[in-house]
Amino acid sequence: MSEKTYVGKNVPKLDAREKACGQAVYAADLQLPGMLYGKIVRCWDHAHARVLKLDLSDAAKVPGVVKVLAPKDVTQKNYNTGVLDLMVPEEMGQLLGDIEDQRIFTDHVRHQGDAICGIIAESEEIAEIAAGKVKVLYEPLPVYLSAEESARPDAFQFDERKPGNRAFQLPEQMFPGNAYGWGDVDVEMAKADLVVEETFYLPKVKQCQMEPHAYVAHYDQTGRLNCWTSTQMPKCVQPKLARLFELPISRVNLISTTIGGGFGGRLGMVFEPETCAMALAVPGRPVKVQSTREEDWIASESRHPGKYWIKLGVKKDGTPVAVDAHFTSNAGAYFSHSSGVPFTTGGWLTGMYKYGAIRYKGDTYYTNQAPSGAFRGYGNPQTNFALEQIVDRACTELNIDPVEWRKKWHKGVGDDGWCIGVPYSSCALDECLERGAEAIGWKEKRARYANQSGSKRRGVGVGVMTHTSGAMPMLLEHTTCTVKMNEDASVVITLSCSDLGQGSHTVLKQIAADTLGMPMDEIHILVNMDAAGFDIGSHASRTTYVGGGAVIKACEDVKRQLIERAAIRLGVPEEDLEIKDRQVFAKHDRDKRLSVMEICHTGVYNFTNPENGETNGVPGQITGYASHFPGHNSPPFGACFAEVEVDIETGEVKVIELVIAHDIGRAINPMAVEGQLQGGAHQALGMTLTEETCYTEAGLCRNNSFTDYKMLGPTDMPKMTTILVEQPDPIAPFGMKSVGEAGPVNPVGATANAISHALGIMFTEAPITPERILQALSEQKVA
Amino acid sequence: MKTKIMTLCVNGRDHRFEAPVNRTLLQALRDDLKLTETKYGCGTGECGGCTVLMDGKESICSCLTLAVEAEGRHITTVGGMTRDGELHPIQIAFIEEGAIQCGYCTPGMIMKTASILANNPHPSEDEIREGLEGNICRCTGYEKIVLAVQRASQMLDNSQIQKSGGMGQ
Repeated sequence: MSEKTYVGKNVPKLDAREKACGQAVYAADLQLPGMLYGKIVRCWDHAHARVLKLDLSDAAKVPGVVKVLAPKDVTQKNYNTGVLDLMVPEEMGQLLGDIEDQRIFTDHVRHQGDAICGIIAESEEIAEIAAGKVKVLYEPLPVYLSAEESARPDAFQFDERKPGNRAFQLPEQMFPGNAYGWGDVDVEMAKADLVVEETFYLPKVKQCQMEPHAYVAHYDQTGRLNCWTSTQMPKCVQPKLARLFELPISRVNLISTTIGGGFGGRLGMVFEPETCAMALAVPGRPVKVQSTREEDWIASESRHPGKYWIKLGVKKDGTPVAVDAHFTSNAGAYFSHSSGVPFTTGGWLTGMYKYGAIRYKGDTYYTNQAPSGAFRGYGNPQTNFALEQIVDRACTELNIDPVEWRKKWHKGVGDDGWCIGVPYSSCALDECLERGAEAIGWKEKRARYANQSGSKRRGVGVGVMTHTSGAMPMLLEHTTCTVKMNEDASVVITLSCSDLGQGSHTVLKQIAADTLGMPMDEIHILVNMDAAGFDIGSHASRTTYVGGGAVIKACEDVKRQLIERAAIRLGVPEEDLEIKDRQVFAKHDRDKRLSVMEICHTGVYNFTNPENGETNGVPGQITGYASHFPGHNSPPFGACFAEVEVDIETGEVKVIELVIAHDIGRAINPMAVEGQLQGGAHQALGMTLTEETCYTEAGLCRNNSFTDYKMLGPTDMPKMTTILVEQPDPIAPFGMKSVGEAGPVNPVGATANAISHALGIMFTEAPITPERILQALSEQKVA
Repeated sequence: MKTKIMTLCVNGRDHRFEAPVNRTLLQALRDDLKLTETKYGCGTGECGGCTVLMDGKESICSCLTLAVEAEGRHITTVGGMTRDGELHPIQIAFIEEGAIQCGYCTPGMIMKTASILANNPHPSEDEIREGLEGNICRCTGYEKIVLAVQRASQMLDNSQIQKSGGMGQ
């Protein structure tokens, strides 16, 4: 690795100072002149119902109400909040069965929290009072909370395009037998000495970003629709809003506000359509929509819950001859990410180990839960809970060390990654496993905890994972970047990548500074959707990898132009010039040089000599540009080790320590990488131990608050040791690989396996709550 | 709703305004005084995003406090931590330790930290973690926030030593 000034350093986040001062502006903080307040009126009492009568007359009479909006008062067009339509070719979208099934306001309530009408008022209080005066007559419809219920032949049909309420299955035309994988699973499975099989239950977990969804929209006097949003995907939401409201993209101005956490929860559109529809109804006046926490909970998307059946066949020596798996997920009320998540869930499975044969099936069913969608990891935590536990079950039965098994059977360089046909370019999983095992004291603790008595039982477990850096080649991968050189050689970089708080803008600036050889504080990053070109958005752990690639290319474009101009001025061939310390030098004659500032200044202030008509050097302001489509997805790997203590009297699990070793390729900003792993671990432990959105039989959410939905607090979190394994990826920019989405993945498997080690019981249902532990312990005693 | 003319002392400055009597302190800060640095996260005292200091030591959830109850008290928000453009050591510690990601919980976390350290200048790690219960962060796993509180405690110690040294001369 060559020495860099900024890359590899713990540069504090660019926006940390304004955040520490409370000056970062989130959408809810906006105060615009003449601003009105919008309230989305939601159905709170039913999870499935037909609106027979909607009476807005009393609401409209409340003083201060400016407008009430019934479904007919806004566009009737259907849309899909997800963004698959922009990420795959139209024909593939059709093959995958991607449909648009949402409306701004509906008369068919499909989940608690569905939007039925809107109120626009002079104040938030007035809007709320008016919302309370909306009279609705509902006809209740049958409520289905699981795929088993909604798949029944006599069930109410959610959408005529989706018979049997099956929103998705892997399409036959792309996946013969509706399965993803390779080899003849039935033949290979028959060769196994041991077959282990389980059905795992995955909970509906919520992103719980701390900033509840909030927006401002303004249809201004120039005929532009402005929308202030903390979306993760400004350049996808912009064209989707344009299409929905039938405007050219140039008349939809999307302004990115500070993002108070995303985790997938702001992927695609959320409540932008409702907010923009309100703004269009009151031209000239901005409208703010601030969701309450409860609304955010019941009306926005979550991770896909579901059942994950998996069967693993192994030889006596551990050889994994075959895997058969089927993930049936719960789409909730709308299509949204119904095709994306079941596919990738299988990708993470097929990409992990060298199975002789594998057959993965994935399907999704409508229910009356809140819609499922994107959540950091996108199917990977679900796979991890099932796969890592079933592997450990086999290892236990065969008396094979789980770390040794994984070292032997994980995929590596040259093997197919999560997308069959795209091989791994690098893999440092062995080093992750070795250093992680050493740090937790694997061998010693594994032996020590084998036979325990007393009420508190300890266990250690391991979980590995692989993920991706960008979604190439399944989805569009494209980021543009413009680098403008000012006349004093300071730099403005224009792009549309979002920074969710993970520090992507900081990291992109570090990359730019080192590529240009410029100090960071002379570079400004401008995020402006009118000025910036396309970017598919901050998802799929792609921003550093793909955004970084775009920044490097655009900076190289600048350097090429600097050298081109210096070559003319100095009379030195371009290949003999190099840029260092803000000077362009002749490699063999250091006296021949020109400062970068001189070239940039001359390009702008270019005067013609009136006597001979000659210019002083090359005219034109230097601007570098890149429209970057990465050629690979350089997947990262990781190994997590967990130590737990389970109280068999109370069923309480205390996670004592987590060691997280991550194959980062190269850490551009180690402190930010650690932050991703630690924060991801918090979400993983929550899914494994405490977090689940629950419903009453009527489909009403039982825990739409932080008191009733338990996330781990500071005293619950274990000691966390992060190990950044740096083996640069040979084809990645600076050797970097991703980390953001990897965070919440393998602490899931590691923790579940540690509990299993402590008690000798495998838990197939997450979260592994004290109730489930006590239940299992009592059954064990009976048995 | 009946309204009332209220006076709130926020960050050393008195603000007079008229608002409904049921205004929460959070609403008053954000909507009436346009001091938006204090955040709404849940409105029910569960997330701590709206934490402010009362009379310099006590941390409260401004969403659970009526504005009228805060009359006559000294309220400090994160906007009042900076003096003459100089960051408070707690703010510096949060920045340098990487304790800030999305930043939405940060104003509340910093005010909670101020309260923890005002009441116990040298907290143990356990005391810090217990003190931070009630303030939710979904980004960091709390690890770097705990480090930031430890560092802030040391920094405040050092500045105290400098101050007392100065006074002695």
